[in-house]
Amino acid sequence: MDTEVEHIYASDLMSDVLAFGKPHSLLLTGLATRQSIISAHMAEFVGVVLLRGKVPKDGAEKFAREHRLVLLSTNLDMYDACVRIHAIRKRQRATPPAKPVEQSKEEILLSREFSIQGGDFANAGMVSTEVKSILKKIGLDPLLIRRVAISTYEGEMNVVMHARRGQATLRVTPQMIEVIIEDEGKGIPDVELAMQEGFTTATEEMRALGFGSGMGLPNIKNNSDEMEIESEVGQGTTLRMRFFIK
Amino acid sequence: MSECQHQWEMTNIRFGFVVFEKCSHCNGIRTFFSASGHPMVGDEYVEGEHTWRCMENAQSLQFDLQCKQCGQLEKFDDVMGFLYCTECLDDCKVAILQKKYAEKKTWVIVAFGFLPRRKDTELSPRRLKILEDYFNQRRDTSRSTIAVLSFDLIDDFSRCKGEFIHDVGMLSLEPPKERKPLF
Amino acid sequence: MTVKELIENMGLKPLSQFDDREITGVFVSDMLSDVMAGAQSGNLWVTVQTHKSIVPAANLVDVSAIIISSGKEVPRETIELATKHNIAILWSELPTFELVGKLYSLGLATG
Repeated sequence: MDTEVEHIYASDLMSDVLAFGKPHSLLLTGLATRQSIISAHMAEFVGVVLLRGKVPKDGAEKFAREHRLVLLSTNLDMYDACVRIHAIRKRQRATPPAKPVEQSKEEILLSREFSIQGGDFANAGMVSTEVKSILKKIGLDPLLIRRVAISTYEGEMNVVMHARRGQATLRVTPQMIEVIIEDEGKGIPDVELAMQEGFTTATEEMRALGFGSGMGLPNIKNNSDEMEIESEVGQGTTLRMRFFIK
Repeated sequence: MSECQHQWEMTNIRFGFVVFEKCSHCNGIRTFFSASGHPMVGDEYVEGEHTWRCMENAQSLQFDLQCKQCGQLEKFDDVMGFLYCTECLDDCKVAILQKKYAEKKTWVIVAFGFLPRRKDTELSPRRLKILEDYFNQRRDTSRSTIAVLSFDLIDDFSRCKGEFIHDVGMLSLEPPKERKPLF
Repeated sequence: MTVKELIENMGLKPLSQFDDREITGVFVSDMLSDVMAGAQSGNLWVTVQTHKSIVPAANLVDVSAIIISSGKEVPRETIELATKHNIAILWSELPTFELVGKLYSLGLATG
């Protein structure tokens, strides 16, 4: 519970948490879903504060406990919560602690497979959580692990949201980490288009009403060193991501 | 008639998702509210003559209104949300009314019930008036006022390009395009 | 403090044309549902949301101005809609948490 907080990140947008949040941040949010907690965990945050008296939903609490993530709830709104933390910060202005970076010198060879169930939100994020803890045990660079965790999470969520089922493979060699996510789903008709930021899977009618959702592929591209997508409509999609170990 | 000059406030606030489903046979759209902490997805399923598939989830809230003075409770669990008219169709009744109201510094907001529209679920003028009173009691009406209209005034829903006041993309994995990730 | 005074004090960038008015407090959220449930008349609304429907949401609860934080790019259609209805959209490069610190130091309280 007593963990050092280095930054505060105040936002309700989980895409922002994954894209811009700094490691060792504390998230202040009014979004009390399980996905908020998992996003914070993937982005290497120390914890989440739920604002305006919101209560954690759908096993968010259990997830936080299992992954030693601090989960707090307050009746304060985002403005007051920020203000109180500013007041504490002014009082102590502590120098941030040096981050312990444990780099393993041993040669590692590891291969693991996981299955992902489409539409199963109760377990969504469990594969990326598992991948993250395996890589942590090996003792790789936390920033590298974070990039792998975020990319795997985005890939996993795409299977949950758009496919019937899928399989994730994690391979670690002395040079790199490779994550392959294969799914049995609708497939992506135009991969190049789906790679563009702002791409949406919403229908024309829904877009007319201002709705739309993306697939997070640009964020995977930004976080990985190499990324490949193969997709066949009606069959499924294979996403390969590689992360080099320096 | 009650003597009370009602002062409304929001109560029983529920956060969740408005789920949109579309039938692949008749192209009909239906919506419902889910108080779950995650969006609804999954394979299409058959129900009578329809084959429904989930199209979209929009984060939203449901609420009731209660009078601070007399305690009268009005339920609004049949309200899906509010829409701002963009005057996309010249012959739309909402657009025509909005132009008229604009002269009096009155903003028009369209209250939506769930789809498909049914006679027994339409929003009565009495309940629209309560919503309108609530929003006006909450604002500085010397500057401008709110008028709440029913979605029944929109003839063709599929041509409407109004703006829904809903949260979309809160759980999206798509990062905003204007900045590079820090790591 | 009025919206114009705030702009001068904080060096915020106004993006739309607006009617100046008194600020009654601050409400910070990226969820329109939260704003509809909690913001008060005359509040300053701080958010990273930039899509068009923030304008009707802001108007529905009668906020005095919207501040877009974290340097988010605001679509032209959002600015045009705000100008049409004289609602202030102000812009800041500061992340939400830092921006709130500055607002508080100017003596603004929660909504």
